[in-house]
Amino acid sequence: MFKRILIANRGEIALRIIRSAREMGMQSVAVYSEFDNYALHTRMADIAVPLGGQLPSESYLSIEKILQAANDTGAEAIHPGYGFLAENAEFARRVIEAGLAWIGPPPESIIAMGDKIESRRIMSAAKVPVVPGLTDPVDDFDAAIKAAEGIGYPIAIKASAGGGGKGIRIVQKPEDMEAAFRAASGEAVSAFGDGRLYLERYLDRPRHIEIQILFDGQGNGVHLYERECSVQRRHQKLLEECPSIVIDEELRAQMGEVALRAGRAVGYVGAGTVEFLYSHGEFFFLEMNTRLQVEHPVTEMVTGIDLVREQLRIAAGESLGYEQAEIPRNGWSIEVRINAEDPSTGFLPSTGKIGNLRLPGGPWVRVDSGMFRGMEVGLNYDPMLAKLVVWAPTRDMAVARMIRALQELHVGGVRTGAPAALAVLKHPDFLSGDFDTGLLATMEFGVTDEAEERLAAVAAVIHRRQLAKRSALAASAGAREGWVKRSRNSVSNFSSAPIFEGSEG
Amino acid sequence: MKYFVKVNGREHEVVIDEHSDELRVEVDGQVLDISYQEVDSLGQVAMNADGMAHAVSLDGDANSCHVVMAGYSYEIELEDERERAAHAAERESSGGGVVKSVMPGVVLELLVEVGDEVAERGPLLILEAMKMQNEIDSPSASRVTAVHVSKGEAVSAGQPLVTLEPLESAD
Repeated sequence: MFKRILIANRGEIALRIIRSAREMGMQSVAVYSEFDNYALHTRMADIAVPLGGQLPSESYLSIEKILQAANDTGAEAIHPGYGFLAENAEFARRVIEAGLAWIGPPPESIIAMGDKIESRRIMSAAKVPVVPGLTDPVDDFDAAIKAAEGIGYPIAIKASAGGGGKGIRIVQKPEDMEAAFRAASGEAVSAFGDGRLYLERYLDRPRHIEIQILFDGQGNGVHLYERECSVQRRHQKLLEECPSIVIDEELRAQMGEVALRAGRAVGYVGAGTVEFLYSHGEFFFLEMNTRLQVEHPVTEMVTGIDLVREQLRIAAGESLGYEQAEIPRNGWSIEVRINAEDPSTGFLPSTGKIGNLRLPGGPWVRVDSGMFRGMEVGLNYDPMLAKLVVWAPTRDMAVARMIRALQELHVGGVRTGAPAALAVLKHPDFLSGDFDTGLLATMEFGVTDEAEERLAAVAAVIHRRQLAKRSALAASAGAREGWVKRSRNSVSNFSSAPIFEGSEG
Repeated sequence: MKYFVKVNGREHEVVIDEHSDELRVEVDGQVLDISYQEVDSLGQVAMNADGMAHAVSLDGDANSCHVVMAGYSYEIELEDERERAAHAAERESSGGGVVKSVMPGVVLELLVEVGDEVAERGPLLILEAMKMQNEIDSPSASRVTAVHVSKGEAVSAGQPLVTLEPLESAD
């Protein structure tokens, strides 16, 4: 097993990896950009290496700098986390060529699954069901209108190099094709530098259900059941569950088997996720994510399997050591992504400094977060502040526990998506299980209870009066204030960022 | 002292009288027995209203703030009677409104020019932030009287984008 690994990432996923590594007796090397001097991952790792630079291309995307850091610190393996270089086959290849272990799938698997058109071809050949549509990119909107006749409306226009919901447009009728095509192409070029688009059928009331798979280097593979990820907006997930309320034993076994077939078709090794669209009892391959997913904790809570630990074991050459039938599936888990965004303004990003912070606790509540009091939330990185995860014996109990945990969470200084998650958890369609990927789009946020608004109004007015009193006192305290500030500055080099983040902010 | 407090778009009236350290609080005509204690200087407050405890998290200034209670978020604008009178006069004289950017971003496309008429929720421009393209819409049926930004320009939160003048309703 490795003695020291380097984590080519930041934020909560870097912490997540540091934690498993430490539990396994491994040291972690963090790397960080100029913005992340005080980030939690740089403080929790055993060794922190500054990469310098402010742009991702100068730091978390710089293959040269990261390989140099691994060499300088004697790291034996590199974990890419998710995002940044996680699905960059060139990076994987360079890591392996440098004589280091790559904690991820073989570069060939990444390439095969990375191109949506290519992966559809491979999946069709492996008898993995795919959504009706074209595997070839279309040249322009005229060609798209012609092709759409054969596929049937509604049509989804997708970016060949896509991911994360960018560059996707839904078209209901031929007249709308031109505008949608242009917008999707523009977004694809700006997001991926590749404007190629392809078309497929948009499924009726689809659910996004994905299967977690694990392969060791000896060819053994298991699936760790499904995750329900249908609560999303603009293809960005907000809330995930394990298991899914619509999947029964038979379908679960069937989807698991198909997911393993998909993995085998590309020679997969490590942890990966096969995403399916589920519609009226049928399921179709959507894409495969050749990395650890954001929502992996719900699978961990239900199976009791530490996925990062398994990734590290597999990368070190160990075999799985268990069979499909030995994998537990116990109870229900829900995850909510706490993003810096404002649901009442259509989820526009929210920026600011985290003033106060109170994290939820109590039984079966897990918080994976790189957030700390005093953290600046800007637009430089992903807006996800935290992942709140709960476990309970049943779905109803998990829902109640998540509502309770969300009510305990206070993040001051920025808006978060928590009120939207609360609204979902109380929505009758979510509770009954009769929902699809369109659920969030149909909901209105920012509507609050009048009695609660009155209390908020009172708090705001008293706060205002307190501020006024303080500024009235300020004149006589002015000289003293200046002296206090100077003295604080003289020691601030040592403690400008807090070392411990307690659960009470 | 009377305050007009807009909470998530809905207005409430709060009357507060202070006698030594006793607070007399009335909200929308209803008397509330309130105690309010700051837990720290960071905006955490322990509030008790008619015997029920509330953990409140609060940030902002005298005229606008943001409150979190039990997972819900309350966007608040407040004015006292004097400010209300002053603001009313201001609104009277200027008319229309300025659409401001609620987030930092880049103007990807301008969809209107001065003189254009836009419907309620009609698109004004496309603002790109966090690699997502966000359509900024007109809050009401209006005529564009000024465009303050140009295509490709980087804007910060709160920066004026477009000035609108309300259209007379058709009937």
